[in-house]
Amino acid sequence: MGFGQFISKPELDILIVTHRDIFQNSAYEHSRFSAEYADQSAIIILTASDMKKIGIKDNDRVLLKNKWGKVIVRAVESKEEEEHAGIAYMLNSPWSNVLVSPETNGTGVPSFKRIKATISSTEEKDVEVLPVSKWENQD
Amino acid sequence: MEIKDFVCTGCALLCDDIGIKTEGNTIEKTYNTCRKGAARIRGDEERMTCTIKGREENIDKAITEAARILSEANKPMIYGLGNSSLEAQKKAIELASKLSAYLDDTSSFCQGPVVEAILEGKVPTCTLDEVRHLADMILFWGSDPASSHPRHLSRFSYFPRGEKRQRGWEENRTAIVIDVRKSDTSEICNKNFYRIPPGSDGELIDALTAALNGKIPKVSFGMSSKEILELANLLKKAEFGTIFAGLGLVYSLPEIEPMIKLIEALNKSSNFHLMPMVGQYNMRGFNHLLFEKTGYINRVKFDGNKVDHGPHCSVMEVLNSGETDAMLIIGSDPLGCFPKSIAEKLKNIPTIVIDPARTFTSMIADVSIPSAYTGTEAAGNAVRMDGEKVEITPFIDSKKLSDEEILKRILEAI
Repeated sequence: MGFGQFISKPELDILIVTHRDIFQNSAYEHSRFSAEYADQSAIIILTASDMKKIGIKDNDRVLLKNKWGKVIVRAVESKEEEEHAGIAYMLNSPWSNVLVSPETNGTGVPSFKRIKATISSTEEKDVEVLPVSKWENQD
Repeated sequence: MEIKDFVCTGCALLCDDIGIKTEGNTIEKTYNTCRKGAARIRGDEERMTCTIKGREENIDKAITEAARILSEANKPMIYGLGNSSLEAQKKAIELASKLSAYLDDTSSFCQGPVVEAILEGKVPTCTLDEVRHLADMILFWGSDPASSHPRHLSRFSYFPRGEKRQRGWEENRTAIVIDVRKSDTSEICNKNFYRIPPGSDGELIDALTAALNGKIPKVSFGMSSKEILELANLLKKAEFGTIFAGLGLVYSLPEIEPMIKLIEALNKSSNFHLMPMVGQYNMRGFNHLLFEKTGYINRVKFDGNKVDHGPHCSVMEVLNSGETDAMLIIGSDPLGCFPKSIAEKLKNIPTIVIDPARTFTSMIADVSIPSAYTGTEAAGNAVRMDGEKVEITPFIDSKKLSDEEILKRILEAI
């Protein structure tokens, strides 16, 4: 057990914008239970200055959390030339949907594309995102 | 065997020029497909199994159990159908009516406002073929067809040499992208990419409308009045323009009216149209059918001869509030695509899933019923994103029932 666990990790408030991707979508069509789909979905794209603020490098694991849940994904540095500080990108998937608020203010439309969350580096275990069978061990 | 002019159900473009080479019932090669379409045609490697409470059962028992659950429920809900044929959708509407059930589809939380405005005649629209032959101005607003509808740019909107646009994208067409991020489509249309902050679409729409009405436009983000005036002038010079509304735009607008006003302002001097970038191949078909029957495109609750409608009948509100006590899901996967905290409420009620592939939701379903893929394995008709009807002819001899046949048998059993 290292001393580092007692030092709180820097957290950053971000706005996650979700979008779609042809490679992730075809992985879904091929098999949504595949490691390929999970690998392509459990990613957040961050601008370089935000990565620096929370002390992470490309491909480090990060914890995303808000009132609705938490999820651990891999951080990837944005390829955009322009900085987009405070705005991060995720592909629409069960991993981003963990953080989507169920409150729709009576509209029936959840805020899938603009999700407020905090981000920090992590050594925590992965959070289970995909459902497990309701019927296993029923005997 | 070589199959020509097969219709791909990978998205609502319903590309009808697909070639397939088969060996028996195995697909050897696909031609003309995008990556997404090829994956859809080949199908999911994990097909749905027929189960009741996690145990494998025959389809007769599963249909009987599904009918029992739905009959005994006080407030059942039917949801999905964007990946079903028009014929299956008709059966689902009939079933919802018979059960006095809630009925909703994906448009409830995506392109519903755009499709509704079009079907109610509030905004001009056009066909994709008109775009190919006539359009000199294409605006992708909050949409990224290079990712979501990969052949959109090459078949219809940007690259083709249409009847009146023989010089194609090089000289005859201008494509503009307005988005919150540098998407793949914005890379293609790099010259005319306008990046805006998340949630500011409505502000830019109002500013463009003001500019077109002779006022000085202003926004609170980094776009100057001069830039907005230049964009407004570029748009209004178009002979035939189409705005392809993506989810980025739809989610950012509480109401669609500002977009309708922008198109009205543009059409004082130009000829603009609005088209939804529909994802699932036949979501729009469901909207058309329900609109014909009830006057609403989605979010209904049948009650004898009456039909209730509104956000309180939407799948998100009904499920989240615990209003429904049984759910039939057809060709959709809420455990994968709903907010997790809403989707998990399905664990508390009897759930029936009909799908060709094993889904996340099938993991918690009381009854799962495998269906044939409409397209490769089952015939049907569908409505393209522009409202055009397309006939789908299968080429694989499948023993699986189509979702139309499954719904018909559930109806008969009730």
